[in-house]
Amino acid sequence: MNRPRSLRMIPALALANLRHEWILTLCLIIALAAVIAPLLVLLGLRHGTIETLRTQLVQDPVYRELRPSQTRDYPPEWFEQVGRWSEVKFLTPTILPLSSVVQILHPVSGQAELFDLVPTADGDPLLLENRGVIPREDEVVLTAESARRLGVNSGDELTVRVTRARGGRTELAESTLTVAAVLAARAGTLARIYAPLDFVLDVESYKEGYGAAHRGWPGASPEPYLSFDGAVLLLPEAMAPIDRTGLIINTGFARIAPLEAEDLEQMLGFALPAALHAYHLYSPGATVTPSSFRAVEQKLRGREASLLPWARVEVRGEGEAGNVSLIGLSLNESQSERLALPSLPWGGFSGRADDGERLLSVLLPGQDGMAMGALTAEGVEPVNFTLEPAGATTLDRPVVPVELLGVLRTAVERAVVFDPASQEFRMARGGYRGFRMYAADIDDVPELFERLRDMGIEVQAEVEIISRIQVLDAGLSRLFWLIATLGIGGGTAVLIASLYAAVERRRKDLGVLRLVGLARSSVFFFPIVQGAGLAALGLVAGFAGYASLALAINRAFADELEAGQRFCALPGGQVPVIVLTTLALAAAASLVAAWRTTRIDPAEVIRDQ
Amino acid sequence: MERAAPTRATPLIRLEGGLKRREQGDGAFELEIPELLVFRGQIVAVFGESGCGKSTLLDLIALVMEPTRVACFEIDLAPDGPRLDLADLWRQHNEAAMAALRRDYFGYVLQTGGLLPFLSVRRNIMLPRTIKGLPAAAGQLDAVAERVGLSGYLDRYPDALSIGQRQRAAILRAIFHQPRLVLADEPTAAVDKARARSIMKDLQKLARADDVAVLIVTHDVDLIAESCDAAYTFDTGPQVAGTTRSVCRPVAPEHLR
Repeated sequence: MNRPRSLRMIPALALANLRHEWILTLCLIIALAAVIAPLLVLLGLRHGTIETLRTQLVQDPVYRELRPSQTRDYPPEWFEQVGRWSEVKFLTPTILPLSSVVQILHPVSGQAELFDLVPTADGDPLLLENRGVIPREDEVVLTAESARRLGVNSGDELTVRVTRARGGRTELAESTLTVAAVLAARAGTLARIYAPLDFVLDVESYKEGYGAAHRGWPGASPEPYLSFDGAVLLLPEAMAPIDRTGLIINTGFARIAPLEAEDLEQMLGFALPAALHAYHLYSPGATVTPSSFRAVEQKLRGREASLLPWARVEVRGEGEAGNVSLIGLSLNESQSERLALPSLPWGGFSGRADDGERLLSVLLPGQDGMAMGALTAEGVEPVNFTLEPAGATTLDRPVVPVELLGVLRTAVERAVVFDPASQEFRMARGGYRGFRMYAADIDDVPELFERLRDMGIEVQAEVEIISRIQVLDAGLSRLFWLIATLGIGGGTAVLIASLYAAVERRRKDLGVLRLVGLARSSVFFFPIVQGAGLAALGLVAGFAGYASLALAINRAFADELEAGQRFCALPGGQVPVIVLTTLALAAAASLVAAWRTTRIDPAEVIRDQ
Repeated sequence: MERAAPTRATPLIRLEGGLKRREQGDGAFELEIPELLVFRGQIVAVFGESGCGKSTLLDLIALVMEPTRVACFEIDLAPDGPRLDLADLWRQHNEAAMAALRRDYFGYVLQTGGLLPFLSVRRNIMLPRTIKGLPAAAGQLDAVAERVGLSGYLDRYPDALSIGQRQRAAILRAIFHQPRLVLADEPTAAVDKARARSIMKDLQKLARADDVAVLIVTHDVDLIAESCDAAYTFDTGPQVAGTTRSVCRPVAPEHLR
């Protein structure tokens, strides 16, 4: 008959007992607080600034860096793929070491000093974990050494000078950049400046002779080379096979074969003039470049021959326009005459892709001059462009300079982009020559090291230092847990022993409780309530002890901390966890005593008088 | 002295043909109870030398010791309760039912009172009442306390009271939750003769007022002779084949005086 009334009375009785024996209770509370307070301080230290400092030390980006040990080509897809690995915290392409040296004018003396320019991007731990920020466009971040040499600080402006030698002359370009931050000394002792990747790539391009129009840096643009599927040779006399072979040897063409009239019309859009013989020069499975044409033309010198480049290129119109078939023809006056074709506004084959306006001219068939919308050529990257009508043609298909087809044929193998602003085709950037990589965690470095090696990429990493740090850190962690376990074990033992002793001491009283009618299952909770009560009071005392200890510790180390930092601090979220854990442990510790109470027979009280 | 007419029809406790055998050391002790009856409102004295089986008898009646065998053992709680076969409860080992009986219908006065040291006298006295679920009746307690000279001591702790006062408080606790039977084991063993007499008077007074039966175990016949309505003693025989046998028999109270 376990009436709830009987159970409800237990807490009041148990606590009245504790209050009555307040000296013993106080002793127990002090004993518990003596265990709890140091544990809280230990926990506080682990969560306080000292832990932050430890993490900073252990997880120093310097130890998490993996540096490529050789220069090789890394395509953009490689960065995409590797950047997705979970062990990789940060990855950015870099450029050749020689291309990365820039001059910075000393703000006071005006002297130019050399600095190593390093690309960075969002999430760069070297910058973020060394009091830096990620530089935006027109900003740089300096290492401590760079800032010292230049005598500048965050917020100052710098003039960065890039030089190149072209045609025996030294050319230079300048940009004014703002110092966004100066890194802490531990980020490295070298004089480096960190800038967004775009800026670094522009510096590299400038050094290679190209310009960067948006920065006002003059120079060529990376012009795509031309490639073709072959050439058509037209000449008045037939060639003996031996002459044919002699013609193509050492030119880059591998075959030469007579060309049927209808094939010629298919390839170049015009009918074979009656007096001429046509041959097809090509190289199966490969493309040919203007140098091959020049080599053949050398051998044809003095003969009335016309060598016309030819490329098969797929071009799509907008929407439902479907495929557009273009004829690529570039003829000089004499060639037009020989082939009995009207002369072309863009003239003969130039072998270059430099003049975008010329390349994009088109002669349209028919009188009305049908409109040509935006076009797209397939390639590594689709190339979008628009042709400008420059007249009409008698041929059945639109006629464009063959150099355009040469560019589009190149785009099948290498990425080419069309820049509408400058009306120019440019080679898209190929790969990069190196990278900067940081592992997410120091523990990830060895695995990352292996993964890269499996890819055939040799890297250098501080594997040895890492293993030493890991040993030290694991040792400290183990020490912490050892001390914590000892403390928790000690506290639990104190509770178990004292609650058990209390039950033995109050055996008679507990027997009387049973005799006057409290159920066995109710008396069971007597020590549990007492254990929880003692733990609660011990926690209060423990937290009070912790607060004063933490205050003392924080005061003692105040000089070495920055504003807002505390050496010893417990995060608020931990407090309920600690409280609940302690209460649960106390309840568990009181179970032995609780079990003991149920062994007390009310009869003993009557009998043992 | 006002005496309520006890209902003689059915006894509150009836124990017939009882035997308790206890092995002790290399021998054994047997207590035989041919017949023991406790009627409502009766004060029953159980006396004898130590070792005669007084305490064993008290344990049996208090439902904390199982009889080895018993012909009839029952409690009749009429008019406001059932008639229960205690022998049957023991056979079923229905501890919960017996605990409930002890809680609701029994009161105990122990040799040294058995007050809980960590509760005030008032809370000590109220405890069985609260457990039983009866209303607090604070005014009633003050009145009763005054009758036994405890007024002014109710809010003290037991250790602030004299032994005599503690025994009175223990008696109040045994009786205040309106039990049917109060079991008192040498309630005056720790006080001198004069105080013992006074305490006995108080016990008698309270029991009579509430029509409660009292079973007093004592070795002091003089103390109880005047106030008891029935009495039992023991005939202890010599040890035969390692067994000491003691037989409980009634004594006419008149013979004691």
